[in-house]
Amino acid sequence: MSSLKRPLFNGSTSTTTNISSKVFVRSGKGKCQKIVRELYLRQDIPCSSKLCSPCTFNAPTDASGKVQNFVLSERPAGTSAYPNGHYLIPDTNIFLYCMDVIEHESAFHDVIVLQTVLEEVRNRSLPLYSRLRVLTKSDEKRFYVFHNEFRQETYVKRLQGEIINDRNDRAVRKACSWYKSHLASALASTSNKLPEIVMLSDDKGNLEKAKSEGITCCNIREYVQGLKNADELLDMISAAVEDQDSKLMKGEMLYPEYYSISKMMTGVKASTLHQGTFNVSPYNFLEGSVTTTAFDRALLVLGRENINRAVQGDQVVVEILPKDQWKQPSTKIVDEETLTKNDNPDLDEPEAIETEQERKALIEEAKKSQGLSFETRPQPTARVVGIVKRNWRYYVGHVDPSSVSSGRGRGQQTVFLLPMDKRIPKIRIRTRQAAALLGKRVVVSIDTWDRASRYPVGHFVRSLGEVETKEAETEALLLEWDVQYRPFPKAVLDCLPKEGHDWKVPEDKQDPLWKGRKDYRDLLICSIDPPGCQDIDDALHALVLPNGNYEIGVHIADVTHFVKPDNPMDHEAIARGTTVYLVDKRIDMLPMLLGTDLCSLKPYVDRFAFSCIWELDQDANILSVNFSKSAIRSREAFSYEQAQIRIDDNSFQDELTKGMRVLLMLSKKLKQKRMDAGALNLASPEVKVRTESETSDPVDVETKQLRETNSLVEEFMLLANISVARKIYEVFPQTAMLRRHGAPPAANFEELQNQLKVRKGMNLRVESSRTLADSLDTCVDPNEPFFNTLVRIVATRCMLAAEYFCSGTQAYPEFRHYGLASEIYTHFTSPIRRYADVVAHRQLAAAIEYEQLDSSLHSKGKLEAICKNINIRHRNAQFAGRASVEYYVGQALKNRETEEEGFVMRIFSNGFVVFVPRFGIEGLIRTKEFEGVQEQDVSYDAENYVLTVESGKKKWQIGLFDKLAVRVRNVKEESTGKRKIMLGLVKTGEK
Amino acid sequence: MSRYELLSPEGLRIDGRRWNELRRISAQMSTQSAADGSSYLEQGNTKIICTVIGPAEKGSGGAGGAGSGGGGSGKGGEGDASVIFEVNYAAFSGTERKKRGRGDKRVAEMQSALQRTFASVILTHLFPRSEIMITIHILSQDGSVLATCINATTLALIDAGIPLYDYVTACTAGSSSTYMANEENADPMLDLNAIEEGDLPCLTLATVGGGERIALCNMENKVQLNRLEGMIAVAVGGCAELRGVLDRVVRRWGTEVLKRRGVESERVGE
Repeated sequence: MSSLKRPLFNGSTSTTTNISSKVFVRSGKGKCQKIVRELYLRQDIPCSSKLCSPCTFNAPTDASGKVQNFVLSERPAGTSAYPNGHYLIPDTNIFLYCMDVIEHESAFHDVIVLQTVLEEVRNRSLPLYSRLRVLTKSDEKRFYVFHNEFRQETYVKRLQGEIINDRNDRAVRKACSWYKSHLASALASTSNKLPEIVMLSDDKGNLEKAKSEGITCCNIREYVQGLKNADELLDMISAAVEDQDSKLMKGEMLYPEYYSISKMMTGVKASTLHQGTFNVSPYNFLEGSVTTTAFDRALLVLGRENINRAVQGDQVVVEILPKDQWKQPSTKIVDEETLTKNDNPDLDEPEAIETEQERKALIEEAKKSQGLSFETRPQPTARVVGIVKRNWRYYVGHVDPSSVSSGRGRGQQTVFLLPMDKRIPKIRIRTRQAAALLGKRVVVSIDTWDRASRYPVGHFVRSLGEVETKEAETEALLLEWDVQYRPFPKAVLDCLPKEGHDWKVPEDKQDPLWKGRKDYRDLLICSIDPPGCQDIDDALHALVLPNGNYEIGVHIADVTHFVKPDNPMDHEAIARGTTVYLVDKRIDMLPMLLGTDLCSLKPYVDRFAFSCIWELDQDANILSVNFSKSAIRSREAFSYEQAQIRIDDNSFQDELTKGMRVLLMLSKKLKQKRMDAGALNLASPEVKVRTESETSDPVDVETKQLRETNSLVEEFMLLANISVARKIYEVFPQTAMLRRHGAPPAANFEELQNQLKVRKGMNLRVESSRTLADSLDTCVDPNEPFFNTLVRIVATRCMLAAEYFCSGTQAYPEFRHYGLASEIYTHFTSPIRRYADVVAHRQLAAAIEYEQLDSSLHSKGKLEAICKNINIRHRNAQFAGRASVEYYVGQALKNRETEEEGFVMRIFSNGFVVFVPRFGIEGLIRTKEFEGVQEQDVSYDAENYVLTVESGKKKWQIGLFDKLAVRVRNVKEESTGKRKIMLGLVKTGEK
Repeated sequence: MSRYELLSPEGLRIDGRRWNELRRISAQMSTQSAADGSSYLEQGNTKIICTVIGPAEKGSGGAGGAGSGGGGSGKGGEGDASVIFEVNYAAFSGTERKKRGRGDKRVAEMQSALQRTFASVILTHLFPRSEIMITIHILSQDGSVLATCINATTLALIDAGIPLYDYVTACTAGSSSTYMANEENADPMLDLNAIEEGDLPCLTLATVGGGERIALCNMENKVQLNRLEGMIAVAVGGCAELRGVLDRVVRRWGTEVLKRRGVESERVGE
């Protein structure tokens, strides 16, 4: 490589002015530091317009000698106001508030993003910054980052006493006028039309100054009005932009003001205030909780005023209320939709912060908390005093039809959007297309939530299609859980092997691909998976050794052979984190070619694998373990059922089947050992939707069946994961990718323990996973076989989520996997569908010195970032999968009414939650839905968890864990057009 | 993600330079008239004063710098001059006020690196049983401190008239690739400032005479092997350029000295 040198001082002309310094004060860790930084001003930063020949001529090159392409087109699009075409220069606020409209594909081309603006955006919001960076990379949008702070002519020095915002505005204006004169002089001798340089800003002062300086400028609304599809685009402009004027006018403030940041920070440091993530109860939208480090129980936040504009997921700072205002968590179901149905979406009339109904609901709560007993002791209650970080994202929902006034035609009106997620408040949006949006799934984003507004204000982003169509609902669900579902971009597909489906394991053993790889193609290997599985991650084999011991091999698809670190495919996989399984769809982490063909350990073909081979003795103790990259040929791909049949059928006496019997025998011993160590046998309600093969319309729902072969595969996968975890931790003690499952705090189980004691006289011991496992085994109701599963389901919900982590961030005792009762654990066995496994593969390959470890996996910081992301992705994928099942169960029950047995899982003072095992669904039954029942007929015994409803002759008594008969049907609510599963009580328990 | 974007996709660094550009350099020679040789060197905001005393008789003066006696032992036996370095960080040189004591390990390491570099370039066999004392004061640090020390020492040694094989010039190089993980072939970068040095793998390289003879190669970070080659290439190029810069400084200063003695030089010329 030759390095080219450019003299810094070209002649005497620029020696005096081409350097400047930037002095600023930075505070951190309680110290103030004065930082002096150099700034080299230069003249070789191109304007990047294809029209400008001087700049094209002088364009600088990078280390590999390439010139960056010029971005801005020769013939930029014109609008009615700028017929000659125009380049746009937006200021910071435009990007901060109008990113959605800027990303629209039909408008906003040829945009110059100034460095000043880019840096401001970066400081204000990293997500917006990354979105902007994506735009600058796109070929269609033609966004160019102009480093005006480094160009001599456009650099602006901050004046004495000038505030930084004014200085930045001045820098933007200066860049505009420079562009104008620069292009004018470049085009002077040509016949090309001179494009207009248009500054976009919403700051009136800035606009005025620009006008007086002769810069063409306008605000975003004016600009968008000149475009073709103005109506749609106008809806996408954030409400925050306009609010600036109206905010000043309004007098009445509904919500208390937030504390200043410094006040919050000092408060948190002094432990007078507490910081945590705000969570809304799924049953009561007026009740939130904040988990903080200082308290072992979550702090309760009750009522709109105390919640103070916090939205689900926000990082908030709370203040504990005086003890006499402490409340107990609600025993009542409160639904936003039913309570605030009649709110007017327009801002005109004065609003009360809490409507009358809401207040009533709360007062009842307060009354109840007077009676004190062990269970009903009030909890620490707090109010939100500030928001550290909003967790606003896109929300999917539908427009509340009652808030749309039909008379107004195409005029602008304000409507409510009811989000799908019950924990999110209604969002007020302004739209011109209200009528068109009715009955559609709509994506919106929240812009602001003022003190003067009862509801957050947002703007329309796009419409997904009719409510209840499969496409719209699936997309809505993916958006809600932030699943990346777009097709793989070209850059990713370019990383696939060129041979495509014809890729083969090379014949020639001298081929470099065979280096360090063992040939296991003569072993009798098979795979056992769910029926119809295409992405086969794992395969197994077993042999009886001459010494009477067993050789067991687990072979995992060698994904890292195809997915090399740090290429676009790897980045995409990191971002996706996991494959998401929906009922009718699979959102792959890796492109199809790899997932279902080249990596997948399909039968009868040679495939590369990563093998883990143990020698086990008769009692399934590990004598030795050996890892190696290999090539295998699977003899057969069984489904769980087929494998089971083959094992059970004694007429099969071939080697393969014998091997499987060995596997089964050893897996039982392994399982027993695990159970003895205290592994938990948990349950989650899993059902499977059977769909019609042609249309994939759901037909029926069945619960998943578990066979011995399921646990066969599971045991060996666990064994492999644990062995790999030990190995990579030994070699990379600081940076191994592991998985842990923290022991749940005893407080999590308190409620369940008490419920079991009161209702069933059972004792749940939670000191360790061992005692929990044992006592869960004793929670058996001889009359009701399902009761044990129910308890297990509830117990599972009390536990913490398992998480990926980087070994350097925790002490060794914290590595423990509580549920599996293993000291150390990782994920290794499903690299096709989980990114954590890909990392583990790379680390293991480096640990056995097969290849060098990529530098990114040496860095603790990077691994932590990966872990954080895949933890979130993993959880979201689970939620999305469950939501999908729920939706399809609903569809399967469409127009059908069945009676099923259900169990009471939770009980409130005005309703209860019933779990229906047959469909794996749970639903609310409210007492007011009972025939002829008034509110005063209901009495709730909180100590015994019994709800008694007496109305005339009829009397119902519902207790926790009771078995009921319920009517399950799927109803479409006429008012909202929403379909949901309704449960109705048919019969209470026998007693 | 780091706090800063060290190399923008447009190819500009945090202070407006491109990947292969040195910072501003300004140098003076003979700044301390009491010393036998001295120099003042600024590379960007890194500012250094270097003074040379000697060659003088061994043991004279109150020199107690680390590494004493070690110098020159590599070749020619006990008769050669020893080179002794003393490095001094001014308490005000960084962003935080911080005093470094005598026993500071980093300073000791730096002294020994400097001593080893120069012992191989100074013609020590010409000065048997004597020592050369070099004192470096770091007034302000903004990255590439060791490299700037080497450059300043070269100037001060020339000022003192101590014979060298050639100019020893040094500069740093970094690789942006570990930072910009999504760049496939990220650029190497020349002459790092403090911010870049803090976030990137940083290589300090010194060459003799601007060629490819490497006198010092020092790196304390991990970097992938395939990136090292690019970094070394860039650093070697940077050293060659620096040799030109220092050479100009020396010549300018030389003509100035001659001008001051105008008449004499004319007479000599005749």
